[in-house]
Amino acid sequence: MTKLLLLLLTSSATLLVFGLWIPLKAVIAQELLEVAWAESQARQTDSRPWPWADTWPVARLAIPELNDTMIVLADTHGESLAFGPGRLTGSEDPGGAVIIAGHRDTHFRSLKALETGNEVRLQGRDGRWQSYLVEGARVVDSRSELIDTQRLPAGTLLLVTCYPFDSVDAGGPLRYVVRASAKGKQREQIDTVAGI
Amino acid sequence: MMLSYLRLYSPVLDRSSPPGSSAVASKTRCEYVPVRSAPPSMAPHGFGNHRGATSDFAGSRRLRFKRIGEGISLWLAVLLMLFVHPLYAEANEADNVGQLHFVDGQGQWQEPALVLDSEFDIQVSGLIADTRLLRSFRNTSDQWREGVFVFPLPEKASVYGLTMKVGERTIEGKVQPKETARRTYENAKQAGQHAANVEQQRPNLFTARVANIPPGETVSVELKYQQPVQYQAGVFELTVPTTLTPRYMPGAPVRNAPDQWQGGWALPTSEVPDAGAISPFTVTPADVADDSHRAVINLVIDSGLPLESVSSPSHRLASSQDGQTFRIRPDGGEVLMNRDFVVRWRPVAGLEPSAAVFHQSWQGEDYLMAMLVPGENGTMALPRDLVFVIDTSGSMAGESIRQARSALQAGLDTLTPRDRFNVIQFNSQTHSLFMQPEVATGNNLARARRYVDRLRADGGTEMAPALSRALESASESEDGARVRQVIFITDGAVGNEAALFRQIRQQLGKQRLFTVGIGSAPNRHFMREAARWGRGTYTAIHSPSDVDGPLQALFSAMESPVLTDIRVDWPGQETGKEFFPRRPGDLFQGEPLIHVVRGAPAMGELKVSGRLPGGKDWTRTLDLQQAAPASGLHRHWAREKIDGLEDEARVTGREPDKAGITELAVSHGLMSAYTSFVAVDSTPVRSSETPMETDNLPTLLPAGSQTGMLRYPQTATSAPLLIALGLVGLMFSLAIVLLQRRTLS
Repeated sequence: MTKLLLLLLTSSATLLVFGLWIPLKAVIAQELLEVAWAESQARQTDSRPWPWADTWPVARLAIPELNDTMIVLADTHGESLAFGPGRLTGSEDPGGAVIIAGHRDTHFRSLKALETGNEVRLQGRDGRWQSYLVEGARVVDSRSELIDTQRLPAGTLLLVTCYPFDSVDAGGPLRYVVRASAKGKQREQIDTVAGI
Repeated sequence: MMLSYLRLYSPVLDRSSPPGSSAVASKTRCEYVPVRSAPPSMAPHGFGNHRGATSDFAGSRRLRFKRIGEGISLWLAVLLMLFVHPLYAEANEADNVGQLHFVDGQGQWQEPALVLDSEFDIQVSGLIADTRLLRSFRNTSDQWREGVFVFPLPEKASVYGLTMKVGERTIEGKVQPKETARRTYENAKQAGQHAANVEQQRPNLFTARVANIPPGETVSVELKYQQPVQYQAGVFELTVPTTLTPRYMPGAPVRNAPDQWQGGWALPTSEVPDAGAISPFTVTPADVADDSHRAVINLVIDSGLPLESVSSPSHRLASSQDGQTFRIRPDGGEVLMNRDFVVRWRPVAGLEPSAAVFHQSWQGEDYLMAMLVPGENGTMALPRDLVFVIDTSGSMAGESIRQARSALQAGLDTLTPRDRFNVIQFNSQTHSLFMQPEVATGNNLARARRYVDRLRADGGTEMAPALSRALESASESEDGARVRQVIFITDGAVGNEAALFRQIRQQLGKQRLFTVGIGSAPNRHFMREAARWGRGTYTAIHSPSDVDGPLQALFSAMESPVLTDIRVDWPGQETGKEFFPRRPGDLFQGEPLIHVVRGAPAMGELKVSGRLPGGKDWTRTLDLQQAAPASGLHRHWAREKIDGLEDEARVTGREPDKAGITELAVSHGLMSAYTSFVAVDSTPVRSSETPMETDNLPTLLPAGSQTGMLRYPQTATSAPLLIALGLVGLMFSLAIVLLQRRTLS
C-alpha cells in the first residue's frame, strides 16, 4: 500500500516537475536569448544563445498594450519553440511578410488578449522598430488550410499559436492566427488563405 | 474506473441498511460501537459471528478506513470530473467556431473521406499513345460524397471517352457543350443519381466531378485519351503527368467575386478569373490516406521497330520483352502521384526512322499523318546575343532551383568570346545582371557565375515583366550578323498562360525563345506553347542526373535551325484537303516534322520542301502508298484543327470560333475548351433528404519541391496536461496520506 502510494507520489511529482519545467525553460531561455540578441545586434551577425543551439535570435517582438516583449528565433524546427517564438518565413528583405509562431502555453499565451487596433512592434537586427496594427484574428484548421506565403501582401505580420488556449491537447488541429499589417501600409483586407 | 468501482460496492452498502436483517450480528457489535463512536449505519455485518473480539476490532478499523477511502475517492472522482469537463466542453465548443466549412452537424471533424486510385493503361503504336485512365473514388466515410479532383493530362492529350463504373454497371458518357454537360451533371446530382463530369480547364488541366458516391462504396471514372509520342534526335519519349506544381495567379484578387466557397486555394484575380478552378490544394504524401494518390501504370510499346533500350529518367522500370513489343511498368508496382512518369525508348542504332506515313479511314474520310526528319546537319555559327531568364519564384524552391542553376551554368559554358549574354531572374520582381547584354569575357562570365550561385527561390511568378525585359532590348541591337536568343528556365507554374503567349507573339520580333522545363511536374502546356510562339524548342529536365543530355541537345540545336520556310504539298485536288499545322515552324536539329491531313488519299507522293541554313533549297518526297494503317488519326487531326482555330483567334485578337470548335469536338467525340463529358445513371440512389458532402481532393506536392504553402506549426506544449496530471496525482496521494494519518491517530 505504502509502496503504491510512494509510486503514485513520485510519478505525479515527476509529471508536475516536467510540466512546470516547460514554462520555466521558456522564461530562462528568454533571458539567455536577451544576451544573444544584444550580442547579435552589436556585432550584426547571427549569434547562438548557447553553443549547441540550432537556432538564433532574429527579432524582438513587443506588445506594448500587454507590456510584453520577447525574442523571436529563426525557424520553428525542433525544440526552438520551447525557447521562444519562431519566425517561419520572412526574410531579410524589409517589408516582406513575416510569420511568427509560438506556443500557446508559454510565450504566446497573451495572444488572446490582442484586439483589433492594438499595436505590435518588431525590432530587426539593425535595431529599427517596425510597428504593426492588429487587423483581426481568426481560427483556422491546420489540416485543411495552409499559409500561402506568396500571396501575403508585403508588410503583413501573422502571429500563430494553438487554439483553444485552455485545451490540454497538445496535438490539436486548430490555430489562432492574429493578422497585423505594418503601420502606413494598411490595405483593404484580403483573404489570402481559403479553406477546403 | 472509479465509477464502476463505486457501483460495484454500492449493493453491499445497501444490503447493510435494512434494519434487523441480521439481528444477531447487530447485537454483538452494539457492545463495541459506542466505544468507537462510529455511526452505526456504517457498521458492516456478518464478521462478528465467526471472529474473536480483537480481530474484529482490527478488521473493523481496516474496513472503516476502506469506507472512508471510498468516500474520498468518490469526492476526488467528482472533483476530477469537474476539473476535466470544462476542458472537454471548451474543446468541443471550439470545433464549432464560425467559418470552418469542414465541420459537420455533430461538431465532428470531417476526415478526408475519399481515397483515390489511378490506373493508367497505355498502348503505344506508331506515333500515337492511347491511354485508358481509371480513377476510382472510394468513400471511406458513412456519408454520401461528391468527389472533385483537378488533375493534369499530357499537354497534347485528346480526351475521347468517359465511362462511369458503379459496382458491376458501366455507364457510357457523352460529349456535350460545356454548360449543358455541367447542367446535366448538377441536375443528376440533385436528383441523387450517380453522375460523372469531366471538363477541361486548360489544355493540360482537367476537373473530374463524381456525384453521389455511396458510403463505403467506390465509383470509378474511366477516361480514354490519346497523345502523340515525342520523337526527338532518334529518341521517343512519353510523359504521363500525375500532379501539378501549384500555380501563381498574377493580378489583383477580384473582391466582388461570388462569395461562395471555391474548390481551390486561390481566389479569382483580375488576370486569372478561374483561379479557384485550377488551384487544387497541394499536400504532402503524409497528408493523404496510406493507399490514396497511388497510380498503377502499365505501358505497352508496340513501335514496330527493334528497340535498343527503354529507360526512364523519373522512375525505375520493370520491363519485359515479347518480340518487338515491350511491356513496361514502374518497378515496385504502385507509384506515388508526385512526379511525372517519363519513358524514353531508342530504336537500334541505324534503324531510327527518318520518315513514316500512317493512314486511317474514318466515316468515309481519309486521314494521313506523316513524320519526316530532315536529317541535315547544317550549322552556321553566327555570333549570338544570348539572354538567360531564370525563374526564382517560390514554386521553384527545393530541387528545382538547384537544377535550374546547374542548367544555367551549363548554358554559360557554351558561350564563346564572340557572343554577348545577360542573365535575368524574376520572381515578384525582375532583376538582371547587366543593363544590356555584355561580351562573354572571362570577367563577365565569372560575375555571372557568382550571380547564379546566389540565386534563391522565393516570392511570386510575375513572368510578364521578365519576358518584356528579355525580349525588349532586341530593337537596339538589331543587326543581321547577330542571332538573338532567349533561354527561359522555369516550371511554368502560372495561371495566365494565354496572356503570356500573346505577349511573346507581340514582342518576339526576330528573336527566338527556347524554354527549359524544370521540376517533377512542370506546366508542359506552357513550356511547349511558349516555345512554339517563340519559334524555338522546348527541353525538359526531369531530374538532377538528367541535366546534361537534354541540355547538350538543346545547345547544339540552338546553333541554328536546320530547316526554315517549310512547305508541305499533299497530293490530290486543292479543295477538300485540310492539313495541320497550317504553317509548320522551323525545325531544329533532330526535330521531326509532323503533319496531319484530312481528305488526301493514300496514294501519290507527299512533297516537303524548305531552306537549309546556307540558303540552299531542300526537297524530299514520301511515297504515300506505303502508309501503315493506324487508328486515332482523326482525333489527332481534330485536336490540331481546334488548336489551329484557337491560334487564329489569338493572332487576330478575336474570340475563338466557339460554335465551330464545339461542332468539331462533338463530331469527333472530343473534349475541348467548350465541350465536356458527362455520364449519368438513370435511377436515383440517394433520397433528397440524405445529405451529401463535397470533397475537393488535393494533389500531391511535386517531389523535391518545397511548398510555398506553409503548414501551420505545432504550437502547443504538453505542459498544461503534465501539470494537471501531476496536480491530480499529488492531490490524490495527499488525500490518502491525510486519511492514513487520521485513521492511525
